[in-house]
Amino acid sequence: MRHPTEGVLRRLVDEPAGVSDADRQHVADCPVCLTGLAAAREDAMVVGAALHTDGAADVDPAAAWQRLSTALPARAAAPTAPRRRSGLLRRPAAAALAFAVVLSGAGVAAANDWLPIFRTEQVAPLEVSPDDLVALPDLTAYGDVELTGDGGPHSVPDAAAARDETGLEVPEVADLPRGVDGEPVYQVVGELSGVFTFSAEKAAAASGEPLPPLPAGLDGSQVRLTAGPGVAAVWSQTSGMPTLVVGRAVAPSASSSGVPFETVRDFLLSLPGLPEDVAAQLRTYTADGSTLPVPVPADLVETSQAEVDDLPATVLESRDQALAAVVWVDDGVVTLVGGALGTDEVLGIAEDLG
Amino acid sequence: MDLVRRARPEAVLALPGAVQRSAGVRIGGTDGVAVPRSAASGAVRADLDEVFRREYPRVVGVAARVLGSRDSAEDVAQDVFLSFGRSSVPAGEARGWLSVAAAHTALNLLRSGRRRASREKSAAAADDVVAPDVADAVVTLEERRRVRAALARLPRRQAVALVLRHSGLSYADVAAALDLSPGSVGTTVRRAESALREELNRHASSD
Repeated sequence: MRHPTEGVLRRLVDEPAGVSDADRQHVADCPVCLTGLAAAREDAMVVGAALHTDGAADVDPAAAWQRLSTALPARAAAPTAPRRRSGLLRRPAAAALAFAVVLSGAGVAAANDWLPIFRTEQVAPLEVSPDDLVALPDLTAYGDVELTGDGGPHSVPDAAAARDETGLEVPEVADLPRGVDGEPVYQVVGELSGVFTFSAEKAAAASGEPLPPLPAGLDGSQVRLTAGPGVAAVWSQTSGMPTLVVGRAVAPSASSSGVPFETVRDFLLSLPGLPEDVAAQLRTYTADGSTLPVPVPADLVETSQAEVDDLPATVLESRDQALAAVVWVDDGVVTLVGGALGTDEVLGIAEDLG
Repeated sequence: MDLVRRARPEAVLALPGAVQRSAGVRIGGTDGVAVPRSAASGAVRADLDEVFRREYPRVVGVAARVLGSRDSAEDVAQDVFLSFGRSSVPAGEARGWLSVAAAHTALNLLRSGRRRASREKSAAAADDVVAPDVADAVVTLEERRRVRAALARLPRRQAVALVLRHSGLSYADVAAALDLSPGSVGTTVRRAESALREELNRHASSD
């Protein structure tokens, strides 16, 4: 099969759902294409960072509307007051972000570009690259990656079925916020895992120069990244766009044979040419699953710290304030509450989860 | 084949209040002229406030990626929404139209160097005081200036596709907004990124 075009490789970087199975498979197995993919990823990241403008997301639409109103020649209706965020102004694409975060919690270990889990319809309309939201770094240029596990999230009839299938208690929301109603759809995903086998040969090829001295036992040593099972309750508008997502999953973890995971991680981080996004993901990964691996795209999402039931929690809010989510880890289980809501609303729901 | 051509945002460039039309640039259809709907009576479209509140942050974001300054980007957004308010662009195409219009207007502004000096200064000052973030770690302020200068020299379609994709429009949205096939969006964006990256590397190696 001929190589996919550079345009296909580019789309794999930030909209892999739009790339055909055949092309994905080819790229996964083709060193030439993997090199091209890495280059495309790096160029996209650097250019994206260069075009980023600090403060551009902090606009005041109400003030801007006043300014526009005075410039308009005639205006029948008076300017309307800013609407509540949880109203009809919800932006579907942003709302889908919450679901992607849930998927990343549930499917972290399986989150390579071409993995089926990220081809689900729910993630397809994302504004944010799923790559940005998942924690398993793309290490295929540095060794062999073998993925095993669930075929992807699927729906189950009710909370009891979700509990039976995953062994997890499904969080119950006592009071739904305004703008969210009806019954949720329950989705589950089984345990997923990936085994990464470090290859000095591949790493040297990826770096384009001789490697630093290898720690003893590193070449050929294996790292297993595991995540799941997970469950999510998803409330949607009649259009199908999610408005509230409550998800829970066994937190991702890493283990290794041979040398300690930290040795593998730190060596990879020391390599020249390691794409910055891969490095950022690697840094969030710890051997015991105690760190929440949610690298977020800084130009679209702001993070802050909060507490849920006295546990440290990470609050994510899209810079346009259309979406907020809170994520925390309790005894190896990660829980997320997110939706087209304000941060106060998601924190309120999180505190009251049954 | 399109049986009906929709008004294309390039017409924004020809309206009073917007920056000058750039010669020879043509994105979209061959007859892309937005007819002011009720120019005589001066009325504006009824859904303007709704579209404005929904799309304003994105339109500012598109222009800011080109200009590197929020203030300048908000000026561009005002022009773009003013033109949109007088147009009869279908509501379903508003996002693409507004985004393309913002990109064109901002690129014209960038190219003509009409950004006010005070604005540049204040934007640069703002850049200097913000806390380091991921973007700062990767590129310096000087590199951002170089990238924007290179952006102004790119083929217009490449530049617009690049900015729209980085502003969060999906490949399908970019394709629809620019009359491209979805398959060619990736190629167009890739070429633009490759050219900008080369520009950065060229300077880096000559430093």
